Amino acid sequence: MQYVADMKAAQTAGAAIDIDRVSHVYAGPEGGVQALSDVSMKVGAGRFIVIVGPSGCGKTSLLMMMAGLRDHTEGRIHVHGAPIPKPDPERVGVIFQEASLFPWLTTFDNIEFPLSLRGMSREERRRRSEPMLSLVGLTGFGERYPHELSGGMKQRVSIARGLVQDPPVLLMDEPFAALDEQTRMTMGHELLRIWSTTNKTVVFITHSLTEAVYLADEVYVMSPRPGRMIDHIMVDLPRPRTYEMMATDTFGRLRDRIWQQIRKSH
Amino acid sequence: MRRPDPKIVRWGILIALLVAGAFAPMRALSPGLFLPRLSKPLPVLWIDLDNYWAALRATLYEVVLAMVIAWGLGIVAGATIGGIAVLRDLLLPVFSSLYAVPIVILYPIFTAWFGIGSQSKVMFAGIYGFFPVMLSTAAGIRTIDPQFLLAARSMGATVTQQITKVIIPASLPTVFGGLRLGGALAIIGVIVAEMLTASAGIGYLVTLNRTILDSPRVFAGILCILVLSVAYDIIARRLERRMVVWQSAGRRQQQASPRPIAQGAPAPAAA
Repeated sequence: MQYVADMKAAQTAGAAIDIDRVSHVYAGPEGGVQALSDVSMKVGAGRFIVIVGPSGCGKTSLLMMMAGLRDHTEGRIHVHGAPIPKPDPERVGVIFQEASLFPWLTTFDNIEFPLSLRGMSREERRRRSEPMLSLVGLTGFGERYPHELSGGMKQRVSIARGLVQDPPVLLMDEPFAALDEQTRMTMGHELLRIWSTTNKTVVFITHSLTEAVYLADEVYVMSPRPGRMIDHIMVDLPRPRTYEMMATDTFGRLRDRIWQQIRKSH
Repeated sequence: MRRPDPKIVRWGILIALLVAGAFAPMRALSPGLFLPRLSKPLPVLWIDLDNYWAALRATLYEVVLAMVIAWGLGIVAGATIGGIAVLRDLLLPVFSSLYAVPIVILYPIFTAWFGIGSQSKVMFAGIYGFFPVMLSTAAGIRTIDPQFLLAARSMGATVTQQITKVIIPASLPTVFGGLRLGGALAIIGVIVAEMLTASAGIGYLVTLNRTILDSPRVFAGILCILVLSVAYDIIARRLERRMVVWQSAGRRQQQASPRPIAQGAPAPAAA
């Protein structure tokens, strides 16, 4: 009964992701290592959330837990009202760093990979992947192999692959970390454009403070291991975001506040 | 300096060898016994065509069976050992060391077990070719980028789908290298075995004619083996290139800049 009540509460509150006092201990060479400690966050549907924190703070682990790719020892994670014990591509799409496109598949086949896992016919797959390709601005590149694409284009393909099953939640693990600064800025901007047309809930992990402020509705700051949430910052910059906003005082203040939090926690 | 076209270089080497083969022995630099003129083995080959053809067929038959054993056993063993961590840690070092052992010393045992007919050749060459196939299959599976499997799992791939749609295609280039090498070793294995103890096959003909100092016939046999090996290599290369289109450029993608066409990335839409 408690479970049903929780489900109701989560839905009425419009929480797409509800993380409640999650802790995680994994077996290290010298006994248990506390990776996450009492992490809670509620993510409203359609929000753009960014998590920042030092390396090894467990933010990727947390994201993997939201994707159903990793277990946690304590607490509860609900995605759209239900736990996620294993990956569910219709609820959650995951976008990794660039290495995860399959080099032996063309752009089309990469985007259609999750559909082919479900045995969907070729025509149906193509019917679904073509709009995705144009959404990410790669019309005409469907027959290319990953090695024929630039880093930014590969990440566009990844995004298309994450969106092709139309999951309400998109999890992104430092997706632009391997890109150069300029491409990274462009891709951030592109991501916001795609996000604004699809109404997805996004949880985005990054090391870049500028990227965090530029993209996010809300920024969560995590401490070094064991990872805890040490700050939750609302970014009230208007949308659509523009590059000019980066030069404003508000932008600078927000970025500075995140930086102070990360520095303090060391 | 501009590098010459490798194709021209390759043909150049071939023609130079043919010319050398045809004319060098004429200069009385070497007696015909050591290196007969190229014009000698060819007519001999023609005269004894039935003989050589029968020998070549026997050899081919053994080679094909040996390859089937080497590839089949190698892939199964390699996949098992490469895929299961416990086996890998226990057995891979053992097999790697065994690979360095000149297995030809075991050939007498093979003849004791299987006789001097084609069976012993097939078994010996099969085992000989087994090692590179097994080791590269294990390596191919072991070195798969874990990100690929994580991504596939996040998209809902079952264990079977992870194997058929990720592990197999991802390890294909490495496995193919091993298959090519294993096949070549199977050819070598059969020929060597035939030269040691046999009653048929090209290797047997070479040894037979060597003992009676019939150089042209020895060289005719060598020519047959050359043709067989080169044909094998060409076919294997072709197949490999067709199967792994993405591999040639794909493995180097990290360092290399993308093709110029990639600059044509569509401009981002204005927000």
